[in-house]
Amino acid sequence: MKKLTKILVIVVLAVGFFGCATTKIDSVYKTGSEILKVGNEGTKLIKVWGYGKTPDIAITDAKRNAVDVAIFKGFSAGGDSDKIFPIVSEDNSRIENKVFFDDFFKVGGKYLQYVNSKNYGVPSGKDRLKLKYGYNVAVSVSIEFDTLRKYLEEKGIARRLDEGF
Amino acid sequence: MKKSFLTIITLFAVMLVFGQHAKKPTIMVVPSDHFCISHGYKLTFDNQGTKVVLPDYKAALQGDGSLRLVISKLSGIMAERGFPLKDLEQELKSIAQASAERSVMTSKESGASIVESPIDMLKRTAKSDIIMDIDFEVKKRGPQSYVVFTLNGLDAYTSKSVASASGTGRPSSAAAPELLLEEAVLSHMDKFNGMLMTHFKDMFTNGREVKVEINLFEGFLVDLEEEYDYDGETSELGDIIDDWMADNTVEGRYSNSDNTENFIKFEQVRIPMFYDRKGKQRAMDTKKFVNNLRKFLARDPFNLTCKLYQRGLGEAWLIIGEK
Repeated sequence: MKKLTKILVIVVLAVGFFGCATTKIDSVYKTGSEILKVGNEGTKLIKVWGYGKTPDIAITDAKRNAVDVAIFKGFSAGGDSDKIFPIVSEDNSRIENKVFFDDFFKVGGKYLQYVNSKNYGVPSGKDRLKLKYGYNVAVSVSIEFDTLRKYLEEKGIARRLDEGF
Repeated sequence: MKKSFLTIITLFAVMLVFGQHAKKPTIMVVPSDHFCISHGYKLTFDNQGTKVVLPDYKAALQGDGSLRLVISKLSGIMAERGFPLKDLEQELKSIAQASAERSVMTSKESGASIVESPIDMLKRTAKSDIIMDIDFEVKKRGPQSYVVFTLNGLDAYTSKSVASASGTGRPSSAAAPELLLEEAVLSHMDKFNGMLMTHFKDMFTNGREVKVEINLFEGFLVDLEEEYDYDGETSELGDIIDDWMADNTVEGRYSNSDNTENFIKFEQVRIPMFYDRKGKQRAMDTKKFVNNLRKFLARDPFNLTCKLYQRGLGEAWLIIGEK
């Protein structure tokens, strides 16, 4: 019994310790995204941050973040672009369509079809931060915004502009 | 058994409601007055001593290549979003052609021509429910060019701006003005359509916003202060019409913005998008909505004859006294 109590105390302390460590790293993270340019054929050039154990994983995370922002948050005016509204305008869509989005954003998921990295190699300089447990990188990605919007409209996730008419 | 019967009934009702489509607003791109007049596309005439300057759309569309490029780009984007635009140039041509054909059209047997009142003639103008009012200018700063771009989405009936986007593009010395214009359109259309989406969502939640006017024909003996015994109380006709609006608008939303004994002006009237007819949901428009008021006034104790005059999808006048 005593042994079990000891183990429990160690586990609780360990969780507490690593939890604090994670919070510390989180505070160093750079997150966010900004639009750089609106391209032809419904593409948007975005600069976005990602995090991962290796720079490559961080780039993949950045791509995922770019698509996530395009769908749920939209982009503030910047670069040569005016404000861009999110593709999905309903607040609770992420929760209501949890199964769809879990599958869409899974590792190697369909989201990758709508985003392309415009970086050659791994980012360097100010766009690459070495953290204690990994890398925080900023990459320029091109999002197939209109194609993504059409896909989500077809799936009934996003509302069409002419819906109801 | 009862439960499954109820489920089937509910599903059927849901299918009836969601199977229907509301009246789709038409959209047309129109160059702004500022664009036309500042580029010299204008008509000037003397109106009883006052100089009046009006935009000449036909000249602008025929003479300005940049305008055609911008309209074409906007049309492509809007068509892709499910709103093919009405083309102003084609609309103007079609009106002129139809007018010529109408003037020579006669019947086979008696040689009678088509009846056309002055109102009919006035109504035959290029119009749409939402106007995309566009203004742009390619400016120079040293060797560099940049575009100043303004796009306003105006509800033709309420005169409210339902969407807008504007800004100044980044100066460039290499890009051609046409390319800068194309970039300007692409940069602003997402915001514009985002605001349009918000407008449409509001329309489906709170009803379509329209205007209604009540008028009297000259010489009619009854005015809007005439008292009637209705629904257990004596009220003026104007108040009874006001009550009808409160009962029939979505959540009683409307504004009695101005009135006298001869007219009432209702603004921000939120009419439902659908109504029931023979157990089916049908799309509501202002004419149908005001027609219900006309029928109400035709009944006891009012027994009033009214003329219903429609001004497009979003405005209607009810003129009491005659047809």
